[in-house]
Amino acid sequence: MKWTLLQLLMGALTLTGGLSIQAAEPLTQEQFADLHLLIKPSAKEDRWNRIPWQSSLWEARRQAAAKGKPIFLWEMDGHPLGCT
Amino acid sequence: MGRALAFSDDEIIRLATEEYIAVTGDDWYQRRRRDAEGDFFRRVVNQNPHKAPEGQSRQGLYCFTASGKLLAYKNHQDAESVREMLEQGLAAWNRLPNSVRRPGVVKVPEPGKLDARYTRTPPVGGLVLNVFTRILDRDRQGKCVKGSCSFAGGDLSARDHLWLKQGEWRRLVPATAKKGDQFEMPATVAERLLCYHLVDNTRGEPPFWASKDIRAKRLTWTVVQATAQDLRLRLDGNVLLATNENPAKARRGYEARLLGYLHYDRVRKIIDRLDVVAFGDHWGEGEYTPGARPGRKPLGIALELSAGKQAADRVPPEAARDLEDYLGRDR
Repeated sequence: MKWTLLQLLMGALTLTGGLSIQAAEPLTQEQFADLHLLIKPSAKEDRWNRIPWQSSLWEARRQAAAKGKPIFLWEMDGHPLGCT
Repeated sequence: MGRALAFSDDEIIRLATEEYIAVTGDDWYQRRRRDAEGDFFRRVVNQNPHKAPEGQSRQGLYCFTASGKLLAYKNHQDAESVREMLEQGLAAWNRLPNSVRRPGVVKVPEPGKLDARYTRTPPVGGLVLNVFTRILDRDRQGKCVKGSCSFAGGDLSARDHLWLKQGEWRRLVPATAKKGDQFEMPATVAERLLCYHLVDNTRGEPPFWASKDIRAKRLTWTVVQATAQDLRLRLDGNVLLATNENPAKARRGYEARLLGYLHYDRVRKIIDRLDVVAFGDHWGEGEYTPGARPGRKPLGIALELSAGKQAADRVPPEAARDLEDYLGRDR
């Protein structure tokens, strides 16, 4: 079997373990799992989700009236809980 | 990005959770809708003395009463500003007489007919996928790691949703499928995925790809298991998206590999796994997403089924503002 220098280099990279990926390479099942986890928000990034956000202003208004609380509205161009 | 910048603060989380009813809105829809909710929204936000001219953005952070009295406003998302605004709003609330604040005093009527032009709900019987996007880097060993950039919050995972209609996801799980079968991703689903979701939204609202920007595309499903109970498929693909037919001349582009897994429970007739990763090099920026890292840099995009239990799960895809364009005329 003949090996090119590039193949040897790629093999060495693979042996180092971890997510060693070049854009042109097909993804492997192992890389898939690691990448999926890496791309998703960490628990720290997702702390905002501990707030029980409502998505309907009218429903928030109804709850605020019933519970005797003020309303806090976070309004953005592009939904604050998604889109960016 | 404000999600992580401001709303990770313990005191802000406590105030928003315990002292307020917290709600979010996309101003693009809210300021345009002509129904009771839109009227109430305009009545509140137009009390802001610093508001932009009529018809322009009303984005910001607002505290107000259920009857519509504005208590506090700010348009900064750093933790200190948000905390200060929530405290100011609460102080203004506490200064109101008890007769106004007591539970049940304000009567909220039924909302009436919603303005369908600016109301978005997921397709009936359809699927909602979470879409996460993150800039990545390679360390000295060539290992893929979370990326860093000078744009505040640009290193965080960005979110969006992908909506599939019932007929679309059903075409992904053919009743006659047997192990080894291969078929291409249905064209409408492929175009939606590529044009609206393989985008760099890590710094704000991104430009989408036009159909003509799809310079190369291969999205092939392979049946890896087919029994009476289960259907398992693998997605292999590669795409080249570029604003010029010559990628070297394209102002923006994304060249990526895709891998995905789907599991269909043939007994319950539901897809209970649909995970996809796109990984490749992205370059360029949009009008509202300046500050991209120079040159071609790794960008990862991950998709998964949404649990559909929280308000965030019901946020429509960014591209669904033009619903006909996003879902097609037969939605």
